Amino acid sequence: MVGLVAVLLALPSVIGALPASDAGTPAADLRRAVLASADVPFAGYAQSAGGLDLPVGDQLTSAADLLSDRTTMRAWYRGPADWRVDVVAPTGETGVHADPGGTWTWTWERAVATRTAPSPLALPTAPDLLPSALGRRLLSEATDAELSRIGADRLAGRDALGVRLRPADTASSVSRVDVWVDDASGVPLRVQVFGADDGQAALDTGFLEFEPTTPPAEVTAFDPPPEAELREGQDAQLLQSATRAAADGHRVRLPAALAGLDRRTIEGAPRSVGLYGRGVTLLAVSPLPGRAADGLRDALVRAPGVVVDHLGVRISAGPLGLMLVDGEDGPVLLTGTVDLDALATAATDLVPAW
Amino acid sequence: MIAVELRKLFRRPRTWVTIGLLNGLPVLVAVLLALTDLAPRPGEGPVFLSAVLTNGTLYPLAALAIVLPLFLPIAVSVVAGEAVAGEAQAGTLRYLLARPAGRTRLLIAKLVAVIAFVLVTVVVVAAVGYLTGQLLFDVSPIGGTALSGTTLTSQEIAGRTLLAIGYVTVSMLGVAAFALFFSTLTDSPLGATLGALAVLIASSLLFTLDAASAFAPYLPTRYWLAFVDLFRDPVLWRDVVRGVALQGVYVVVLVGAAWANFTTKDVTS
Repeated sequence: MVGLVAVLLALPSVIGALPASDAGTPAADLRRAVLASADVPFAGYAQSAGGLDLPVGDQLTSAADLLSDRTTMRAWYRGPADWRVDVVAPTGETGVHADPGGTWTWTWERAVATRTAPSPLALPTAPDLLPSALGRRLLSEATDAELSRIGADRLAGRDALGVRLRPADTASSVSRVDVWVDDASGVPLRVQVFGADDGQAALDTGFLEFEPTTPPAEVTAFDPPPEAELREGQDAQLLQSATRAAADGHRVRLPAALAGLDRRTIEGAPRSVGLYGRGVTLLAVSPLPGRAADGLRDALVRAPGVVVDHLGVRISAGPLGLMLVDGEDGPVLLTGTVDLDALATAATDLVPAW
Repeated sequence: MIAVELRKLFRRPRTWVTIGLLNGLPVLVAVLLALTDLAPRPGEGPVFLSAVLTNGTLYPLAALAIVLPLFLPIAVSVVAGEAVAGEAQAGTLRYLLARPAGRTRLLIAKLVAVIAFVLVTVVVVAAVGYLTGQLLFDVSPIGGTALSGTTLTSQEIAGRTLLAIGYVTVSMLGVAAFALFFSTLTDSPLGATLGALAVLIASSLLFTLDAASAFAPYLPTRYWLAFVDLFRDPVLWRDVVRGVALQGVYVVVLVGAAWANFTTKDVTS
């Protein structure tokens, strides 16, 4: 009897330890396979675990929760504009259904269905944490010199080939990103993002089940149920704040480069918001109305590890950095995957009087 | 012998008092909700409870969710913990064993009686929940909404509710197996009951710890709430299947251990 129990308990470990087949594909080819996998349909079950405890008050609650909690997702993917990702919780469910016109977000606990048009710049949501989406995004701007192979593994019952990205930018707070790619389809099955502390992943998301099959169209489609409250999606609260601040005459002088990171343009993004950097090293700059900044500052100054000096208030949570500075026309928020030194340099670049 | 044990169990007033008390809390909650119209905030409180104000059809599930974490396991532990130890404490065990039926058949009879109690209890909770929901809340004539936002017909809700009743029953069999095993170790039914509850409390506590995540899939309470997954669309079978398999392993191992212990122990009381 004891032997039977021991065998049953050991089975998962034994199966997990079965050697994976490594096809010996070069890292650059793997990246190309990942980028080409956007049209590969699949169905899967994934979990992400984040250790980024961001003290952000009410401004970024949903994004902060996403990056600090364990999130369980079911996904059905028919194509870039036809997919569905459900966040399943013990007491409810939030599903995002994408179609060519935008997304429906259904929240069962509130019986609310929200229609949102595509946005060029948005805070992270659960579908962004799906390994397939996150892996593609993180590898999209990587250069071949930043990539290397890290062997193979068995994930979700499939052979997965590992590729490691070490960003070349010195300002980057991301030390490395490990992406495990399905050998057969090129879809990323697991993504691990490491901060300066190389030991434990700051963000780890992976498929526990993965089937490269085309899900039925009725599974990804969504019709709001009769009792649902219908809402129009709005930009994230923070982007609204930025737009409001700009409307109030609070503009930030956005230079061509910050902390050595070049400015990039994003079609359709609010003009008051600047985005700098490349690949996994990004820095966003946005004006904030005074009230929103006060709440954020209160949350930041109480957090352990915060740096408060004449430049402003800054803090890092794993690879994510956050800084609030007092600009010439009002408070300015700097956030991204850059280290504290880079944030300080960016603040100095932004307010030359310092 | 099985019929004798079933008659004994269900003719005992204490059994029905236990089942009655178990239904008290869901009925009280329903009355309070109906009187005040104040459902728990979304995402808080027992699952399905915030939805019953608009659709009473879901109240059997809310009732099960209310009693599942604590009251139902206590009731099952009390009855299963008493199965053998209660006879020993009352001094009737050796007389039972004096019959030619044998220890194995007695243990099987006790096990069947405990399983019957679990099933009857869960069905009664769901049935009282159904009546309460129909009487106190609005009932949607077209059925209801799955967690995923799709519409379920009344027949689909009824079918999935039956599956949930079956799943909760299976989940409680693991509790019963623990209590029955402890019941063969001691002459104190209270000790057997508390032993089973201690295992469940420890399991619930460990489940909340990230540090214990390596063996979380093997904790007896790990998949208890997976009956909620029956109301997603498509049904999420992953945890339901794992929950049934896990309880199956616990039942086989613990009942086997109970049998090995009971058939070899010296019975003096």
